[in-house]
Amino acid sequence: MSDTTPESTELPAELVAVDTNAATVTLAVDATIYPLQALYGASYIFIDRCFVFIDRPEEGRFRVVLSPKDAKPEPEALRALVGEFANELLSCAWRHQITQDNRVAIETVTMQAIAGAMGEPSLDDLAAFDFSDEAFDDPLGIAQSWEEKHGKKTPSEPPPADAGDEPRAAAEQPAAEQPAAVSDGAGAAQ
Amino acid sequence: MSASSTEIRFAREVYSGEAVDEAVKTFANFASFELTEDEAAWIVRVTPNSPDVARRLIGEFGNYALGLTIQRGGTTTV
Amino acid sequence: MNAPTPSASARRLPLASYKLNNTFQAFFRFRQVGDKVIISNYEGEWLALTQDEFRQFAEGAVPEGSPLHARLDEKNFIRASYNVQQAVARVQARKHFLYSGPLLHVMVVTLRCNETCIYCHASRANMDAVHTDMSKETAEKSVDLALSSTSPFITIEFQGGEPLVNFPIVKHIIEYARERNKTIGKQLEFTMVSNLALMDEEKMAYLLENKVQICTSIDGPEKLHNAQRRLPTRDAYQRAVHWIKRINERYGEMGLDTTLYHVEALMTTTKETLPLWKEVVDTYVGLGCKALFLRPVDPFGFADRTRLRIEYPRSAYLEFYRNAVDYIIELNKQGVQILERFASIFLTKILRATDPNFLDVRSPAGSGIGQLAYSYDGNIFTCDEGRMLYAMGEDTFNLGHVDTHGYRDLVGHETVRAMTIASNLEGQPDCVNCAYNPYCGTISATNHKSQGSIFGRMRDNNVCAVHKGIQDYLFEKLAGDDEEVVKIFERWTTVRPRDHFIQEQDAPLDEESGAAPE
Repeated sequence: MSDTTPESTELPAELVAVDTNAATVTLAVDATIYPLQALYGASYIFIDRCFVFIDRPEEGRFRVVLSPKDAKPEPEALRALVGEFANELLSCAWRHQITQDNRVAIETVTMQAIAGAMGEPSLDDLAAFDFSDEAFDDPLGIAQSWEEKHGKKTPSEPPPADAGDEPRAAAEQPAAEQPAAVSDGAGAAQ
Repeated sequence: MSASSTEIRFAREVYSGEAVDEAVKTFANFASFELTEDEAAWIVRVTPNSPDVARRLIGEFGNYALGLTIQRGGTTTV
Repeated sequence: MNAPTPSASARRLPLASYKLNNTFQAFFRFRQVGDKVIISNYEGEWLALTQDEFRQFAEGAVPEGSPLHARLDEKNFIRASYNVQQAVARVQARKHFLYSGPLLHVMVVTLRCNETCIYCHASRANMDAVHTDMSKETAEKSVDLALSSTSPFITIEFQGGEPLVNFPIVKHIIEYARERNKTIGKQLEFTMVSNLALMDEEKMAYLLENKVQICTSIDGPEKLHNAQRRLPTRDAYQRAVHWIKRINERYGEMGLDTTLYHVEALMTTTKETLPLWKEVVDTYVGLGCKALFLRPVDPFGFADRTRLRIEYPRSAYLEFYRNAVDYIIELNKQGVQILERFASIFLTKILRATDPNFLDVRSPAGSGIGQLAYSYDGNIFTCDEGRMLYAMGEDTFNLGHVDTHGYRDLVGHETVRAMTIASNLEGQPDCVNCAYNPYCGTISATNHKSQGSIFGRMRDNNVCAVHKGIQDYLFEKLAGDDEEVVKIFERWTTVRPRDHFIQEQDAPLDEESGAAPE
């Protein structure tokens, strides 16, 4: 991302930097005050009107870069934008805390409301139930037969995919889905 | 004429790797991507096919990766 | 604590000087209103305390046996004697609406409309747009879904556009629903929201004979109404008034109590309305209306450039509201029977410890779990606001389609779940600390439109400002020393059932009006 140069601003310079040339505003966020879930919540609300990038420059700190999608904004508009973002972030952080504190009350009301509205399934509902759906997603292999679970694999069978939270390697993706540019990059990453 | 490339570091503690990967696939028709990684980040070097749309393309690409990360419930790294 | 009321000239609470003792009180929230402090608890009991009484309460220095101690104890504010059973019963009574599904089913039978209103664009189409008429097949599927609700009470509300434009489908829905309900047995009612300009004697006879409750729009005095609700003939007001009088006359001829059975009217407050609070009230009284709903304009359905012309700061609206309701109260003191609908909704919660189930002012709100909206094309939405947003290119609140989705798919939809969570005030910043929490509500679709998320931010949220301002006004009156006002307010919470509008389950269809199934 481009470097930002702090300009004269009413907002604290150590927290906010406005870069009019790049049409971006950068906000430093204390991770001990604002949890990542709150940052996600606030960011998501802005991605229809801004380009939002979140960085983790150091332990205990996030950095949010906002850049309006529309025409190049005035510095005042950028400051208003980051101000609104900060308000939304505060709101999300507090809501995050409240929903943890009041979790039982909120879940109880929600469950009652949805159960009260849905009622019991009719015979038609039961007949139409899709048993092939993820209700039978079976990560522990409980629903598999012993042969399926432990039987000898055929030589052509690929190794099991890594379920980790990483970009999949090119070799693990069906060739038809791979954009050429990704294959090289992803391959290089392994 | 192809545009110059831009390196984006998606912090592992913020972005889901699979979301970044999915974003790369989705935007593959508009730019070329090189993926590397280090301990802290998924690193994507983006070279837009057209320099005229570079800002928008990189911005939307970043939004897409962030949006997917959030929809997936975030990353489990933090 | 939240900001003081705009009219409060009283000194601020010197909270910093209090020697707080938090072992005396049970859970409570508080808010300064004028020179009093309103305290409320989780189950919605409340008291208006003087500042000295509040200090005693906060410091835990209320002598046992004192009148204040007895008042606090009676309302369940003292930790040592907190009555859990009573609190549970009261919360259950307030949340009675959680136990069954959508009762309001909005059916948009066409988008075509003969009037052009300045605040309505996304909800209407020109009169030649016949493709926006609901088909018979879509109508029947919509009715089938509505009658699948777990609610024993079902109200089908005809909306548009202008529903009289597609009157054959209105009739078909009435007749099909009545026929289907013979075996289902819901307590079924029909309501129509119409500008009345296309009403005629035949349609009126059909609607009244089939017990359809009729609501219309009156935006205020003739000049204002005709400026905001435009007909080519420039007589929207005259036509509406003619039919209000004619329908009310017919109710009398049918032997119905006309203080109970009359055309209900709704208004939309624009910038032009604000100085005309007295004229608006006088217009409604002159038309024989018993209720006036001072609704602020909402953010749906018009272009941004129009917003500049008709929108206003919420402080201006609240001044308008206070002026109008002060005047309504004065008229009540003179024997005129008219109430303000917002006040009636809040007062029912405040004074009657129950919930009138107004879907936009409850927690959680009624989107999806209390109402569904069926568009002319078969798309189904959590609420009518969600349908309007869809017309503006935003599909967040679209739950499915009559052709492809069953009832449980709709009310169990993840969007409904999300909105139920988002409109639960126990999860809302600001609301969790607000003394008005037990009486209030937030609207997810409005939040989404105006603040970008279904949660919204209450501190700078227009709906919150309006709700809070109205309740400030009401509590100011309740905490005041005018007992006549309190009696008037109590009268506004009296619900007189209008049983005439309930469809008889086995009633044969009316032959005189040609109400045979098509």
